[in-house]
Amino acid sequence: MADGAGESVSSEIGQGITIAKTGEPGAFGGELLTINFGPHHPSTHGVLRLIVDLDGEQVRRLKPVIGYLHTGIEKQAEALRWQQVVVVTDRHDYLSPPINNLAYALAVERLLGVDVPPRAEALRVIMSELTRLSSHLVWLGTSGIELGASTMLMYCFRERDTILDMNEEISGFRMHTSYIRPGGVMADATPRFLEMLDRFIAKMPSNIDEYEDLLTMNPIFRSRTIGIGRLPAEDAKVLGATGPMLRGSGVAWDLRRSMPYSGYENYDFEVATSDLCDCYGRYLVRIKEMREAVKILRQALDRLPDGPVNIDDRKVLPPPREELETSMEAVIHHFKLFTEGYTVPPGDVYVAVESGRGENGCYVVSDGTHKPRRVKFRAASFVNLQPLERMAMNHMVADMVAIIGTADAVLGDVDR
Amino acid sequence: MGVEALAESLGQNVLTTTLAKLIGWGRGNSVWPLQFGLACCAIEMIHTATASVDIARFGSEAMRASPRQADMMIVSGRVSQKMAPILRTIYDQMPEPKWVISMGACASTGGVFNNYALLQGVDKIVPVDVYIPGCPPRPEDLLNALMILQERIKAQGITPRQ
Amino acid sequence: MIVDSLIVDRGVSAGDAWITVASENARDALSALKGDGYQLLVFLTCVDHLADQSRDWPARYELLYQLRNLETREQLRVRAFVDGDPPRIDSVSDLFPPANWDERETYDMFGIVFTGHPDLTRILMPDDWVGHPLRRDYPVGGEVVEFSEEHEAWRTAPEKA
Repeated sequence: MADGAGESVSSEIGQGITIAKTGEPGAFGGELLTINFGPHHPSTHGVLRLIVDLDGEQVRRLKPVIGYLHTGIEKQAEALRWQQVVVVTDRHDYLSPPINNLAYALAVERLLGVDVPPRAEALRVIMSELTRLSSHLVWLGTSGIELGASTMLMYCFRERDTILDMNEEISGFRMHTSYIRPGGVMADATPRFLEMLDRFIAKMPSNIDEYEDLLTMNPIFRSRTIGIGRLPAEDAKVLGATGPMLRGSGVAWDLRRSMPYSGYENYDFEVATSDLCDCYGRYLVRIKEMREAVKILRQALDRLPDGPVNIDDRKVLPPPREELETSMEAVIHHFKLFTEGYTVPPGDVYVAVESGRGENGCYVVSDGTHKPRRVKFRAASFVNLQPLERMAMNHMVADMVAIIGTADAVLGDVDR
Repeated sequence: MGVEALAESLGQNVLTTTLAKLIGWGRGNSVWPLQFGLACCAIEMIHTATASVDIARFGSEAMRASPRQADMMIVSGRVSQKMAPILRTIYDQMPEPKWVISMGACASTGGVFNNYALLQGVDKIVPVDVYIPGCPPRPEDLLNALMILQERIKAQGITPRQ
Repeated sequence: MIVDSLIVDRGVSAGDAWITVASENARDALSALKGDGYQLLVFLTCVDHLADQSRDWPARYELLYQLRNLETREQLRVRAFVDGDPPRIDSVSDLFPPANWDERETYDMFGIVFTGHPDLTRILMPDDWVGHPLRRDYPVGGEVVEFSEEHEAWRTAPEKA
């Protein structure tokens, strides 16, 4: 196996982690100090490692080292059949599984050239927005703890528990639902789910008010976030940031509005932005997005159309359970589908959806066989982590915690 | 006070037990976990610490960020080849006696990811006391594992794992 | 303005517009496209076409650059085919800053050497890892699953499996 270690190549390939030169002078008369932050650190949101050069307590250089959660998901997807890949998509950005499913499902559907029924689209929107809420709740809770508001975790996870209960009701599983699949969704919403959702939508706005009571005017929280980690709009665009990172810098770019998918053009919602460009701005954007998500949920629930939730194609989706007892053809389809799967016409497609962290894309290449040739996940956190050095520059080490927090990187998404 | 009276009052107020039982009781009810989140399971681990499940009822709410203060490591999620040496270092830094819960399918066996990047089971590098199935397991499962571990700790006596 | 002479082939795949350029011109073409308003490099990746029967591929590795114009919301995919050991292409990390990590990842996973990259090191795998995992001739790895066909083969003749 050629790993490119030839004579001429070695000069182009770096030598791993670079560390500050010993004794490099700082601005305050001392020397730069290199410290290692992570990968096991309570406030790095997972196994992120940072190599930081400090001048006194100020950050002069910062180098994220990632890969501590590299799972080989893209390689694994190449070894699985088309319908099996759904399971691994759940697990890369583990705070927003249905949105990952959606990106993959939309990509495969574009290659197959099929459109899902309206009820399936509405259910997909419901699951996406519930997921966005639960993902923001985890962010709010854990960031709250890091910035000295331990109560936030208890409040936020109370609502997240409700959402996970709804996930369980509709798909049978709390976190990794695998609910959205190429060709539709796993199962229709149960009446109990719709009832739970209705109650949740009625209750959630007052809960968000509660979070805001605790944080928005909280002097400690404000002094730790306002003016910290500034990322001007131009820099955010150049560095490729998406999601709340970009909108927190005042750029109204939301894929649900800019490049709608799955029927998002039919919903009335505002794209949350903030001109503050700092950690506090990103916090405000996420709070606003939670309110908008509740609005979308209300519209989706009120206008939930009737009809099937899957496409009527026995080559892609299994026949209903009842048919297996009466129809030989159904049994054959079922057998073929679960032993060799289906094939997808050759070609490649890129589909991007808006997750809680930004643009969550899925690039799929088919070579016409039963397994994908290549599945590439365009991870929002992977790109959003790159402006970290730009944001943390000249800040205190303690502020770095706030900056990592509001970047909201999920390490499973970064490393895949 | 006469000697008889003293003996009588002591008999009503003193429990006698073995030192092993006493230490086991103390250790078992104050298992401090290491705050060590890896992947998806870490989120369910946080759920276990929140109000609805409340791990504090079992004396394990004190999540320690430093391995030197922790009694138990919950390996919550998949362990990559790159993370494995670090995980072992952290385990070595924990003071004896120490216990390990392998939370979830990925930590226990590699789960759905049977590939080059992941350690196929954390028991290849650290000794595991309790395995929890599930991907991720429910918070109640983690509580159950903790209770199993507590029973075991209580039975282990003064010098566990010698 | 991108000149037509740079474009080798163009087409639409499942609704996505794409062009192919020669690998030595990839940097020029991307630079011209950036001037045309395609300011954002959404992602950069590689596909290994080893033993791909679906069509006749010009080379084994296909480099892909997904570009987006944030004003008009148009997207364009630029393809470039490279071969060789190690395969080489010019880095675009100075044109598009997000390409920095993407190129490191592509080097790590496919062994593509990006000439002119400031710090071409492994990013996801450990620094001392041998091989490039996403190449098609790199085994998926892992362990033999019990009760599977592979396990049956391994049980009866472990030295051959």
